[in-house]
Amino acid sequence: MKVEDIVKYMAENIPRGRVGAVEKAFAFIIRDFKIWWTYKLWITLDILSSLTFVATYYFVSMIITPQALIDAGYAADYLTFSVIGISLQHYVFTSVSSLSDAIREEQWNGTMETILSSTTSFRVFLLGESAFRFIIGSYFLLASLGMGVLLGIRLVLNPGSIIAASVLTILLVASHMIIGVLGAAMILKLKQGDPIVWAFSWLTQLFSGVLYPLGLLPDWLKWVGNAFPLTYSLDGLRRCLMNGEGFDSPMIMENTLKLMLFIMVVLPFSLWFFKKAYDSTRREGALGQY
Amino acid sequence: MNKLEILKLFMVEEKRSKSSLRQLSAVIWAQLKMMLAYKSWLIMDLLSTFASVVMYYFVGMQVDPVRLSQSGWGTSYLAFSLVGVATSNYLWACLTRLSHSIQHEIRGGTLETIAVTPINMFMFFIGLTARGYLVSLIYLVGVFTIGVYGLGAKLSFTPQSLLLFITLFVLMLVSNQALGLVAAGIIMVYKRGDPLVFILAAVNEFLAGVLYPLELLKRFPAVQLLSMLFPYTYALDGMRRVLILGASILDVNVLTDMVVLGVFSMVLVPLGLKMLGWGYNRIRREGTTSSY
Repeated sequence: MKVEDIVKYMAENIPRGRVGAVEKAFAFIIRDFKIWWTYKLWITLDILSSLTFVATYYFVSMIITPQALIDAGYAADYLTFSVIGISLQHYVFTSVSSLSDAIREEQWNGTMETILSSTTSFRVFLLGESAFRFIIGSYFLLASLGMGVLLGIRLVLNPGSIIAASVLTILLVASHMIIGVLGAAMILKLKQGDPIVWAFSWLTQLFSGVLYPLGLLPDWLKWVGNAFPLTYSLDGLRRCLMNGEGFDSPMIMENTLKLMLFIMVVLPFSLWFFKKAYDSTRREGALGQY
Repeated sequence: MNKLEILKLFMVEEKRSKSSLRQLSAVIWAQLKMMLAYKSWLIMDLLSTFASVVMYYFVGMQVDPVRLSQSGWGTSYLAFSLVGVATSNYLWACLTRLSHSIQHEIRGGTLETIAVTPINMFMFFIGLTARGYLVSLIYLVGVFTIGVYGLGAKLSFTPQSLLLFITLFVLMLVSNQALGLVAAGIIMVYKRGDPLVFILAAVNEFLAGVLYPLELLKRFPAVQLLSMLFPYTYALDGMRRVLILGASILDVNVLTDMVVLGVFSMVLVPLGLKMLGWGYNRIRREGTTSSY
């Protein structure tokens, strides 16, 4: 058999054309969804485990006095306060950390170099991976909030509060996708023990007011929470969903502007940081290392 | 170079020990070396210990002391949550660590390699849990130190109460590790079973009342009944009675907790060993020691 014949035999007949970034990102989402869907038991159990958090705070709320919530300007309902806090923190944390996990998984399976040796850029890969994580995270967020509704959380919904909550949710996702990119850059270099994800998990639990209003923190600690977009997102969304406030509230406007400012400042930095980490890892030939 | 010279070059001069204890210490040593290789991870884990205690300190500021004391656990939520938070990490280590490590070895293709060596596999499996136990110990000591000496939680740390606490704690480890052996045996055979163990630990933690008094479950008799099926519920109850209320071994509730934990251990340990053996023998028979 001649070489030309072998090449012809091996060649695929699918015409190769330029595939747009959005199409590729969408292909990653579909690929990850297909893998995710094969673990149906895993999905069910994961939802159940996240629901145990909600159930735990249902009982904790029974021994809590709402005075600190009233002082902070929220409705006197700790169950609603904590369920919103836990659900959103869990949502953004799993979305952010699973992006780093996805990179580890590709490295572990030895597919990282395969993907990146194709014409797909790492940015498109990241966009697809992070979009998928946030879409799947929404599933868990809705399950937690649904469980909260069953246990008696009280949401004050009106057209104004729904619009404001929707805008704040979009800003929440956008700002945390940026943190996810920073985490992904760290995992490329460090392989394990991503400090961005760690810092995000624990510092936000401590200083973003997930389980208690920030008024309880001493003044010298309150500033730490200002560094995290979750602080503004939580405050804004709680005011929308617990108090029924909309964009006519100065606090909602303030939180929205702060989130937009965060995105504008941190986005270019995170992309620059990621490029540095990516190039350095490529130079070292350590992209597939774990 | 002839065959003998090549063999000599590769030959290890060290004497091979058949002692199970030496094998165990070697596996533990290997686990520790791997743990220390990820220094940033270790530092972060230590810092997270501090963060978790401080978080419950602030949650405690919102707790109504009257409502907490009505449940019979004194007025300090920090002290109440501290015992739960400090010990729950061990619950996770007991239930999930071994199965997770075995899966890790299978995935890395090293279980098969180890299985063909003359190592005592039981010692190998025990050694695999060492990392989880050590991390949990650091966490436990850290949580109690920060909570008691840094944030002022009032816990009874007399020699008698410490001895009683350690007894209850060991019973908790034995009974829960036995459940971990059952889980590991099943996961070895059915592979992706991690979420199952994860949900078992999460539900166990919830039902044992790590963050709330179990007396609140009285409104839900079915849930309360379910909580009584797990050994950690009794261990936590006993440890809290000893450390928060200063109860002695003569306390009926503490004695009951110890007896129940003893019964759990006697039933679960043989079952756990049997399941672990069953799982290991089955994957060897089926030739799936390296498939995942």
